[in-house]
Amino acid sequence: MGLAQHFPALIIAILLGIAFLSPILYRWARKTSAPALITALSLSLVMGIVLLIQVHQGGTFYYHMGGWPPPFGVEFKVDFLRVYMLLVVLAVSLWIMVYALKDLEHELKTEMLGWYYSLYALLVGSMAGIALTNDLFNLFVLMEICAISACAIISIKEDRACLEASFKYLILSAMGTGCFLLGVAMLYMVTGQFNYDLVNEALPAAVEQYPNNMFAASSLFIVAFGTKAALFPLHVWLPDAHASAPSPSSAMLSGVVIKIYAFALFIMFYQLFPRPLLDSIPLNEIVLWLSTAGIMFGSIFAMVQVDLKKMLAYSSIGQIGYVFLGIGLDDTIALTGGFYHLLVHALMKSMLFMVAGVIIYSTGIRQIKQLAGVGQVLPLTMIAFTVGAASMIGIPGTGGLISKWYLALGALEVGRPFFVVIILASSLLNAVYYMPIIVNAFMHQETFEHEAKPVPRQMLVTLVIGVLAVIFFGVAPGLTLTLLENAIALFF
Amino acid sequence: MEMLIKVLHNYYYMAAILLFVIGMHTMLTHSNLIKKVIAMNIMDTSVFLLFVAVGYTYGGQAPIVQQGKEVIYINPLPSSLMLTGIVVAISITAYALSLIVKIYRYYGTVDYDEICLIRSQE
Repeated sequence: MGLAQHFPALIIAILLGIAFLSPILYRWARKTSAPALITALSLSLVMGIVLLIQVHQGGTFYYHMGGWPPPFGVEFKVDFLRVYMLLVVLAVSLWIMVYALKDLEHELKTEMLGWYYSLYALLVGSMAGIALTNDLFNLFVLMEICAISACAIISIKEDRACLEASFKYLILSAMGTGCFLLGVAMLYMVTGQFNYDLVNEALPAAVEQYPNNMFAASSLFIVAFGTKAALFPLHVWLPDAHASAPSPSSAMLSGVVIKIYAFALFIMFYQLFPRPLLDSIPLNEIVLWLSTAGIMFGSIFAMVQVDLKKMLAYSSIGQIGYVFLGIGLDDTIALTGGFYHLLVHALMKSMLFMVAGVIIYSTGIRQIKQLAGVGQVLPLTMIAFTVGAASMIGIPGTGGLISKWYLALGALEVGRPFFVVIILASSLLNAVYYMPIIVNAFMHQETFEHEAKPVPRQMLVTLVIGVLAVIFFGVAPGLTLTLLENAIALFF
Repeated sequence: MEMLIKVLHNYYYMAAILLFVIGMHTMLTHSNLIKKVIAMNIMDTSVFLLFVAVGYTYGGQAPIVQQGKEVIYINPLPSSLMLTGIVVAISITAYALSLIVKIYRYYGTVDYDEICLIRSQE
């Protein structure tokens, strides 16, 4: 084993370390700072893959920070689902960063770039930590790091809309973490533990004596993670924040950051709360109906938007609903679909935001109306948009179909065909707002009247990778689905 | 009556929850951005109070081992964790205040309603 057994801690240490080094490197050795960040991200991705192989060979294992066993020290747990989440975070953020290196040059002031790399590494590091941690208080600290760096990569652009949006995001996410910490206090009062497994063991006895604590904690957790993951009535911060941010930040926030909180809520429900207690409170039912409302309203709001990035942001509210739908349906197949959607949506929504970034970079257009005929000048970009939109709608051959298929199967399995109707209706609504853009971009007769700058090859290559990935996960989902089925079976 | 005695015995929990609700309500309803930040701090502090109260035992002492004495110690874990919590709350406050400074430079006001008004007139 040797060094390999320390990989869970090393992944986070490397990312937090590079966050510290980036501004220094940018100040004194400007050329090395971007390659250093890319190297750190690739290195942690390789470590993540090694962790996957370890879990595949040896099953779930634990890592004790500093060698201290659970009641005293922080514990990391490495199982299939956590490694899957870790790989999604690391792979997608590496991919976005490759794109961002070019795009940021024109979106930000030059002297800010080093700080952006620093914040980006902090964000990725904290999300990797959230994926692996097995300790409630550690989760709280990582969530706060994640919240601050997520707000900061919006406000770093320093225009009026960004500042206001990131302040709104900061206040609501502070409310979220406040609720989370109060929930943790409720659990700590009766169990005296922070470790997930130990809380899980101590809860049944504690609940008999103090039944209200777990009600309070579970509802606070729904509010906390719901706010951060933009579950329907708590989504108000998302459209402004994701639409006004620099495009790479939008891709990161919409693609990965909101997903990690959905994952954290899943862990709370299925690992922290004991199963019989979970069945006695209709928590899943609450999440189910909120996600259904989110799926419908997200799509309906998206239809009336005139700004391309705002439309994509509202569409995220609908799409995160699918992940919560998987949690709400409380069924292995639906959860497989939900978590598959988490991966596919991370890919396609990041790609769509990158497309929006390329369009802004090249032509400066944000309005949907002015996009008519843009396919003539940016053909490859709009093909990437088409593939992403097709996946959103769930057209065969793209990843979006597989996840919706599994969610629908799961809904049928628990005997609730109503949610199949919801999935179909929302696919139809997605088509209503994505199709006109594609049709307009390619079929428009007159020539495109705006000037278009040439797009750097690096940005186009990342889009091509995105297209290939979305199609790959639509055509060959077998391996990932097997992994997810094994991963989720551990929680039942 | 029994309920009332229970509540009176645990008055510090009540205080913490009351502060939490005050903080949350102010944070979400007041339009002044500075007041929002103050309310955020009240909310965080209430949770710290709750945690520290959980760790306290009546007549307990600071957990420093003294040779040859049997004494009751308070639980040091919540207090030490709340130090981390305070640091986190401070960093969020600092960041929020710096954002407010920038917002004030752009809009000339720290009132959210006025900012919305300015934005809608553009």
